Amino acid sequence: MITEQGVKDLLNTGGYIADDAIATAVFLAIRMEKPILIEGPPGVGKTGLAKALSAALDFPLVRLQCYEGIDEGKALYDWEYGKQLLYTQLLRTQLDTYLSVSADLREAVERLSAEESLFFSKNFLVQRPILRSFLSEKRSLLLIDEIDRSDDEFEALLLECLSDFQVSIPELGVIEAEKKPLTILTSNGTRMISDALRRRCLYLYIGYPELEREVAIVRAKFPDICEDLARQMVDFLRKARELNLRKPPSVSETLDWAQVLSILNATQLTPAVVANTVGVIAKHQTDLQKVTELAMQELSVPWNG
Amino acid sequence: MERIIARFVAALRESGIRVSPGESLDAVQALSLAGMEKRSLSRQLLRLTLVKNVNDMPLFDEVFTRFFSRFQPDVSDIDISDLMNAAIISMEGEFNYLNQQQGDDHDEPGPLIKLDSDINPEDLQELKSLTEIDPDESDGKEIVVQMKGYRGKAKAPRPMRRYVQNPLTIELNKSTGTDRGITFSPEEQAAMQDVVSRMMLRLRKDMRRMKNNQNRGKLHVIKTIQKNYRHDMVPFQVALRRKRREKPRLVVLCDVSFSVSHASRFMLLLLHTLHNQHLDVRSFIFNREVAEITEMLINMPVNDLMQAIDKGDIVDLDENSSFGQVFLAFKKRYLENLRGRPAFIILGDARNNYDEANDWVLDEIREKARYMLWLTPEERDTWKRGDCLIETYGSYCDKVEVVKTVDDLSLVVEELLRDIYADQAEPIDRKRLREAREAETYDYQDYYTRGTGGGGEPAFDPSGRSRW
Repeated sequence: MITEQGVKDLLNTGGYIADDAIATAVFLAIRMEKPILIEGPPGVGKTGLAKALSAALDFPLVRLQCYEGIDEGKALYDWEYGKQLLYTQLLRTQLDTYLSVSADLREAVERLSAEESLFFSKNFLVQRPILRSFLSEKRSLLLIDEIDRSDDEFEALLLECLSDFQVSIPELGVIEAEKKPLTILTSNGTRMISDALRRRCLYLYIGYPELEREVAIVRAKFPDICEDLARQMVDFLRKARELNLRKPPSVSETLDWAQVLSILNATQLTPAVVANTVGVIAKHQTDLQKVTELAMQELSVPWNG
Repeated sequence: MERIIARFVAALRESGIRVSPGESLDAVQALSLAGMEKRSLSRQLLRLTLVKNVNDMPLFDEVFTRFFSRFQPDVSDIDISDLMNAAIISMEGEFNYLNQQQGDDHDEPGPLIKLDSDINPEDLQELKSLTEIDPDESDGKEIVVQMKGYRGKAKAPRPMRRYVQNPLTIELNKSTGTDRGITFSPEEQAAMQDVVSRMMLRLRKDMRRMKNNQNRGKLHVIKTIQKNYRHDMVPFQVALRRKRREKPRLVVLCDVSFSVSHASRFMLLLLHTLHNQHLDVRSFIFNREVAEITEMLINMPVNDLMQAIDKGDIVDLDENSSFGQVFLAFKKRYLENLRGRPAFIILGDARNNYDEANDWVLDEIREKARYMLWLTPEERDTWKRGDCLIETYGSYCDKVEVVKTVDDLSLVVEELLRDIYADQAEPIDRKRLREAREAETYDYQDYYTRGTGGGGEPAFDPSGRSRW
């Protein structure tokens, strides 16, 4: 029996520092067997959560990256036409003998159509990510990444899969999931996701973390960065996020920066350190300037927090 | 428990968050799974299952606090006067909120339910008198009902949304704003319809020329094999991949301040007419604030819309226009969810009233846009005078054009649409198109100088046909 505190601890040991909302959402998703739709700015750990969960719970990760124009042939299943062709060619002689016992043409056709299902069987079905995760022997984690990049049609296609965990294949009928996968959908909010899809999911918004949690995240990933530096870094980045930048630094930038600073053996942030490493946190030319200016303002006096 | 949840869901719906029965079932299930000992946990559970949109979250928190505060057992040991003060303060907060939301939920008792029954009746009277002031007398119950329907939908409520449903509601608040009375006569509308439909006709001719080629892509191997099963795999019939055919998308930002009203009204009329042709246009108007009017253009009679705009119901017209602020607001609210590299048209005089220019936003818009066009009603020689920023802004645009008449306007827009189509065409088509257009140039000129009356298509198109 798993509790939400259990989920939190599990994630923590896996190196993902979750807050209460995230832990509760994951707990509910596991118990209620419902997908979670995660929204939030890029780089706050939406995909990271799925990866951490898959490692912590030992669910194999099945990932489906969405893009404009993705369709069922890429997401659910496809027929393996080449293989079907090859089999008909190879089985030609066998078919001849099999059909030669029949008295007339009518009987031969009947005999053949009785075996029709052979050619539309699971043998010739290519499993794409969603079907693969449904049919996996172990309970898996299905990550549908950046759903907002796909088209509306694809979203509609997902509805059946997500609410009933089944895939309808016209030639085979309905295939139900053996073990309902833990499903995570992520979206960066570049497009409104339809209400129908939202209704079928739990909704979790991950924003930028609070100071304490972000410090904890840095410390968990890079233990050799001292508490003071981590705090100073996070504090600085939080100020940078309010600067109206084109691409505000996210948690992933925090972690990159922490890595850079630990490689450089920095112990304290100074304008010079920031100026040397600014490319890690700011990704546009105008942003570079703004961040460097912020560093001049904030960090010229020695820090004592 | 089910009953409490049902009542809570009802309260959420009342304040405009849309909750489906399935979601409330989820909430019950979630609560029974995780227990209800901790208030913060229950809040999270309910939020996870009932709220499906970031914008609704603050509202949810508010409703949650209000709804579940009455079950708090420790009311007795709080000083009543403190409670009163708190109630009055929150009531005032509520009142301000009411003012902003244009009478959204003023028939709700609000935080009054926090109070125990033993406060003295005079205080209660005082409190009640606060709620009785209607923030906007002219918006009756009708609008409240309509607003409720819209609050919970996918996007945050936009003040003009309510007109979409029923243009009659405009009649209800005639009292506000000054009436400048810009409307279109039926002749003007008909003339515009005429200009646009002829423009579309010409465009369609171009489109047809490239349509066939545009549709075709590479060989679709699987479909070809499938198609030729019956021919023993000899590919008699070839299946080609279809290319995604993009509709030309257009985003129009139109200044509606006094200084350009004579031009913007024709732009709006043109937009209205374009909307009825099958084009993907998103339209925004701005003065100091920016608002999307796409749906209103589709659903409302154009004169009603003009009146609404002139009265300042959609964007406030009493302020000075500020392009800088508008661009910033546009970037924040809309830029992210524009799809498919649209062409931008900005109509305005670029007179920023000495506000911050924020021209860097245009640089970002540029990255998203296929093409940027700035239309100004001012002559070139006045561009350098006063607070005109057109040279700054214009440097980000592909083209800056002066438009003074309807014909100028339609000519410019037609040119733009043509460019968009040509952009998507194969190089060979592009060449053919250009040749065809050069051959026809004279006809078009003639066409426009003849004005809007009568006039038909140039009858014969030798350049297009001689090739076939």
